[in-house]
Amino acid sequence: MFKNRGKKKEKIDIIANCIVLFFAVLSLFPLYWLVTSSFKNSSDVVKMPPDWFPATFTLSNYVDVFNNQPAFTWAYNSLFVAIVSTFLLIIVSSLAAYAFSKLQFKGKNIIFVIFISSLMIPKEVMIVPLFRIIQDFGMVNTLSGMIFPNVATAFGVFLLKGFFDTVPDSLREAAKIDGASEFKIFYKIMLPLAKPGIGALFILNFVQVWNDYLWQLVVGQSENSKTLMVGIATLMQDLNPNFAYKMAGATVAAIPMLLIFIFFQKYFTKGITLGADK
Amino acid sequence: MKFIKKSYKENLTGYLFIAPQILFFLIFLVYPIMEGVRLSLFKINYQDEVFVGLENYKRLFSDPVFVQSTINTVIFVVFIVALTVGFALFVSATIFDKNAKYVSFIRGAYYIPVMVSMVVMSMIWSFLLNPANGLIPFMARELEIASVNFLGDTRLVLPVIIFVTFATNVGQAIILYIASMIGVPKETLEAAEVDGASKLKIVFKIIIPMVKPTTIYIIIMNIIAVLKIFVVIQLLTGGGPNNASTTLMYYLYNNAFKYNQLGIASAVGVIMFLLTLALSIPQLRAMFKNN
Repeated sequence: MFKNRGKKKEKIDIIANCIVLFFAVLSLFPLYWLVTSSFKNSSDVVKMPPDWFPATFTLSNYVDVFNNQPAFTWAYNSLFVAIVSTFLLIIVSSLAAYAFSKLQFKGKNIIFVIFISSLMIPKEVMIVPLFRIIQDFGMVNTLSGMIFPNVATAFGVFLLKGFFDTVPDSLREAAKIDGASEFKIFYKIMLPLAKPGIGALFILNFVQVWNDYLWQLVVGQSENSKTLMVGIATLMQDLNPNFAYKMAGATVAAIPMLLIFIFFQKYFTKGITLGADK
Repeated sequence: MKFIKKSYKENLTGYLFIAPQILFFLIFLVYPIMEGVRLSLFKINYQDEVFVGLENYKRLFSDPVFVQSTINTVIFVVFIVALTVGFALFVSATIFDKNAKYVSFIRGAYYIPVMVSMVVMSMIWSFLLNPANGLIPFMARELEIASVNFLGDTRLVLPVIIFVTFATNVGQAIILYIASMIGVPKETLEAAEVDGASKLKIVFKIIIPMVKPTTIYIIIMNIIAVLKIFVVIQLLTGGGPNNASTTLMYYLYNNAFKYNQLGIASAVGVIMFLLTLALSIPQLRAMFKNN
């Protein structure tokens, strides 16, 4: 609507847009530097003044990352932890969200209030007792130890309840008259209707678990139980002084997220804004 | 009789549906919170637990490193949240009324660093800031700025961490603001325009007041996120130089997993838990009011 003004474009608006554009490009620069550095050889990467675009182009840093480090194992661990955490969360939170939205049971409101009150408490603040529980379960250095605490969040319920709330009750009543069980109604009718919410939850949670660091660092100490984020962070302390090699490791960790963002941008925007709309 | 039986069955169905989630909730959230409070009152040496009352808390407040961690955390919260809200408001108000392709490019450019995570971004920044062969110290030398050891200087380390954290995470706030500003009714904006209001006036008199709930949400979410700031500290500075950049979460982690002071670490956890709980109350109240 402002652009309809044509002749009366405001100067301040143009200046502001230039600033926004400038910082947007600046905000992408570290990633540009990451990716281009990872293709340089060990001397070019620290050359000053720098090559703004790699003069020599080598894949040897990537070969080194996968040869010197169990990077495939790390990537597998990250993928496994992120996918299983997310599936578990979707199963348990869609069941609970449906109950909080559509079923009547004693104490429903008070349970929901207590549950949602935990929404903003980060699990990091109780990392000591949480670690002791994982120890008691014998889950230190296992992927299960990284997975289970991720399911104890109210975020899924919070997000999905909104979707179930929009489904008219009459749909459920009709199925009930036809003699469908509560679980069948949930599984056959309600769950397919909540698909956009489940999609948003899947992506948001997947990214969050993939990018999680502290908890995975604490649980996965052995070389074989490290995840990609913890593994590549150890490259920082690596004796190898080649920065290109470290940047190659970081690129490997970043690429899956970049792809997800490019292909699923609209889910993000939707999922992230859901929390604020409430 | 029949009615009672029916409601009993309905209750049971409801409980069965929420049972798996509640189970996870109790084991991995409620129990750890209570256990954390208990542990904070004990001196713990492997299997040995001795009740010491509030001793751990007293020791915390007389430990200069803890005091420094608290001060740094507060500084980070104040500056990062203020920068984030201010800059995100500026970016979003500037672009929200432009065409969709442009909006989505800008949004993407600021959000991609959020996506690739603090770990990866910290690695890049540690390379960019490396005193010997990083790009930024090189440019500082070219411009003849005196100090180039950005992370090794006690006066520079906090501003640098504030900037890195802000630059990495501001995309989240921008996404929220754009969505919220696009939701401002078109008629309101058009009416103001017909009256001859400038864009600046429209932003300050209409847009900013109308996105206030989003602002509150962003402030609270960011305070809580910055309160547990850890990755950037561990990977960029290790809390240094000389504890100048240590934070509460970093202090907690070191006490728990380096110095084996589980009681002390739990006490820090309890303090942080109470802080987050207190901070989230306004948001929770707003949420329940709407439901």
